[in-house]
Amino acid sequence: MSEKYIKTVKIISFCIALILMIMAGRAFYEHRYFKGAIVLSPGVTEVKKLSDYFSPLEGTANDCNIYILDSGNPGGTVMVLGGTHPEEPGANLAAQVLVENAQLEKGRLIVVIWANRSASTVSRPGDAYPQFYHISTDWGVKKFRMGDRWANPLDSWPDPEVYVNYPSRQLLAYMDIRNLNRTWPGKADGALVERTCYAFIELIKEEKVGLFIDLHEAELEYPVISTIVANQNAQEIAAMVSMILTAFEFKRPIGMEFSPPSLHGLSHREVGDYSDALSLLFEAPEPFLDRVRGITDEHLLLTGKDPFVMKAGEYGLLYEKIDEEGWPIDVRVGRHCSTILQSVQTYSEMYPDKVVAISKVPRYAEVIENGVGHYFYDPDEAPTDRVVYE
Amino acid sequence: MTTINLVIMIIYHIISVFVVFVLIWSIIKTKDVQEAILYCIILIPFTLRVFHIK
Amino acid sequence: MFIHAGMILVVMAVTFAVAKLLKLTIELSMFVAAIAGALAHGAGIPVRHIVDGAFTYYDVCLIFITATFFMNLLKEAGGVTYIIRGIITTFHRQRFVCLLLLTLVLLIPGALTGSGAVTVLIMGTMVGNVLTYMGISETRTAAIIFLCAAMSAAAPPINLWAMMAAAGSNMPYVGFMQPLLIITVSGALLSMFILGWKGKAVDLEKALKELPTPPEKMNFLRVIIPFLVFFALVLAGRIWPFQMPILGLPLMFLISAFAVFLISPKKLPLLEIASTTIRQLIPLVGIMIVVGVLIQIMALSGARGLISLGVVTLPLTVLFAALWLILPWSEGLVQYAAAPLLGVPLILLFNMKGLNPVIALSAMAVMWPLGDCLPPTAVVGRATVIELKYKGSYYGEFVKTCLIPMLIILFVCTLFIIFSKQLSFLVG
Repeated sequence: MSEKYIKTVKIISFCIALILMIMAGRAFYEHRYFKGAIVLSPGVTEVKKLSDYFSPLEGTANDCNIYILDSGNPGGTVMVLGGTHPEEPGANLAAQVLVENAQLEKGRLIVVIWANRSASTVSRPGDAYPQFYHISTDWGVKKFRMGDRWANPLDSWPDPEVYVNYPSRQLLAYMDIRNLNRTWPGKADGALVERTCYAFIELIKEEKVGLFIDLHEAELEYPVISTIVANQNAQEIAAMVSMILTAFEFKRPIGMEFSPPSLHGLSHREVGDYSDALSLLFEAPEPFLDRVRGITDEHLLLTGKDPFVMKAGEYGLLYEKIDEEGWPIDVRVGRHCSTILQSVQTYSEMYPDKVVAISKVPRYAEVIENGVGHYFYDPDEAPTDRVVYE
Repeated sequence: MTTINLVIMIIYHIISVFVVFVLIWSIIKTKDVQEAILYCIILIPFTLRVFHIK
Repeated sequence: MFIHAGMILVVMAVTFAVAKLLKLTIELSMFVAAIAGALAHGAGIPVRHIVDGAFTYYDVCLIFITATFFMNLLKEAGGVTYIIRGIITTFHRQRFVCLLLLTLVLLIPGALTGSGAVTVLIMGTMVGNVLTYMGISETRTAAIIFLCAAMSAAAPPINLWAMMAAAGSNMPYVGFMQPLLIITVSGALLSMFILGWKGKAVDLEKALKELPTPPEKMNFLRVIIPFLVFFALVLAGRIWPFQMPILGLPLMFLISAFAVFLISPKKLPLLEIASTTIRQLIPLVGIMIVVGVLIQIMALSGARGLISLGVVTLPLTVLFAALWLILPWSEGLVQYAAAPLLGVPLILLFNMKGLNPVIALSAMAVMWPLGDCLPPTAVVGRATVIELKYKGSYYGEFVKTCLIPMLIILFVCTLFIIFSKQLSFLVG
């Protein structure tokens, strides 16, 4: 092989590598710095930052927006957390439906759309997630960012060789130091996600949150699915909500489970134990997360239709049913909306001095009938001071 | 602690810079075509990390 | 979709075979297979996915690089020669103690890092030399190093397969210590004594004459201090996890390497050794990056799901009878990605069928690293033959020699899975 030939191949290879770097780099950059518009409902009275409750978070990727809806009337305070795992879009979409629609008659509602914002800025290597997904609305197509379960290594690097949860000392997988639902109750001088949880606990205490709800989606192979996981302080609410929704509203039942006392780092355990808030976690089914899933794309993410997952169901390997209709995003968001509304109502009935009354938020049947896109508004038509980007 | 963590993150970027440097040097030096192509493939993730893109 | 995903797998396999026939290296053949799979999927050349996949094992690559750099510095400083001479001089008449100590020495690096390749890179040459002087053939020496490295990777506290599968199925990484310790220590001792018991007495005079002489000022303290620094850093992270900054394994190795540099009796050319280390590791790093690309394309096209589905839908008895083949093979194919790929659905399945998930996952997490000598990746196997400068046939001699201890370990692991419920008392 001549020197010239070798040199030519080297130059061509290097150029191709450079082109790949530039093309992929642009895609990664666009994904990381994408800003989605949120049209504030008339009920939103204030938009704060998480760093307002814990200043060291200022300027970090996890300094997310905190949407406060205050009725001005006395009552309790409910907090809803979306985007704990940004690979579970039903959670952040439901939170955004609240921010764009909810109005408060009594008490206050605090909503977070991207709790682990850093995790929303990265796609998971090896899993072929789409970077974005698109929802049809009444005024056009709205683009959303799809994220990962763990915060972006660009914001939190390196991982320890094993993650030791603070303060329980429970050992967890190394990357779980970037998992917002393993780092509760947080650590003031810890890694980014530990600090984020610490900030949320500060928020919960400062705002005197009475009921805390963490929204999630889960694979059908996972036993904790279509359920409400409750800290012991919120068991009665969870049991009541699950009974009402299963009996009167949902096509498929929603269960109720107790938060295991020995399982640390999760919101349903630690928020209840480290604050005065009653703590609940909701799980909706997301076939996209199943390991046996087929083609990984936006279609599967939004329709929840997958023949491989169905086949696993035929073999009795799933904890939730699936058929040709799949688990569309409207159904998943609808379940979250109704479960939130029913939990707030039950909480208000159980604690009459802490009533929270929410209106204008669609329930399960309405979201399915109109599509979740119906509840997102055109940022171009909204007054500029009522549009925020996140 | 947060400052120390930041310094550690910078050290990790420096390690990546060093790997990129050696890879480029190896691409120039190698006489094996297939090796050169593989070095170019390996170069991609290390370079993108150095530039804090991925 | 079944046909589509099946076709993708066929296209990838055929492309890989053709590329190998055309004398492309394993790394490039796999890369070409991934591109062909993407084209067959109809996604054109999905540049973002290719590059995204290349990041899958980024941190593992950094561990490989820094651990090897540490060991190369120690070698250059004369520490390795000093230890070999020390072990031979002290224990040349006590074969049992000698083999026992060498097994423990081999288990430590992988147990702490979760990587068999690190064991090979740090201890492989050193222990390999001692074994050779004990009259063990080159092939058996290579097999011992590989098998103990595989056991070390699986040994607690860090077992990356168990951790990844546990994380994927939302299980805490607790209760794994005892079952992993029992299986891996017995597996390593078994391999060492089956392959290394027979040999000849060490000809001390000849060995000491042939071995290079370490620098005059080299002593036990100078050798042990860098290791102590490393273990101290790991232990400090465990004992005071909330006071210690997060160093990560690569930086721990670099700090230990700096300790070697400081106390070395001779001046070490840092930059030169660092460059040599990276060049030495390019085949390993290359394969990890290319495997990442391959599994990304498999996930994109549904081929990954088809494999997962194929495994979990097997009847339980067939599964028990086949796991000893499936798990090492999947490791050979996609490395650590085998844990989330097969481990998560399997562990959820076992849990559903009433088996103890911690015991079952522990056993599976010992079976995976045994596949690290299998094609196409064969990362640890290849590292072993590279490090030991092994000249024999890779499959015909090296892998063949590994087979008997490997099969015994796989059989024990299978029993652990089948009787996991009865063995629940082992979960601490």
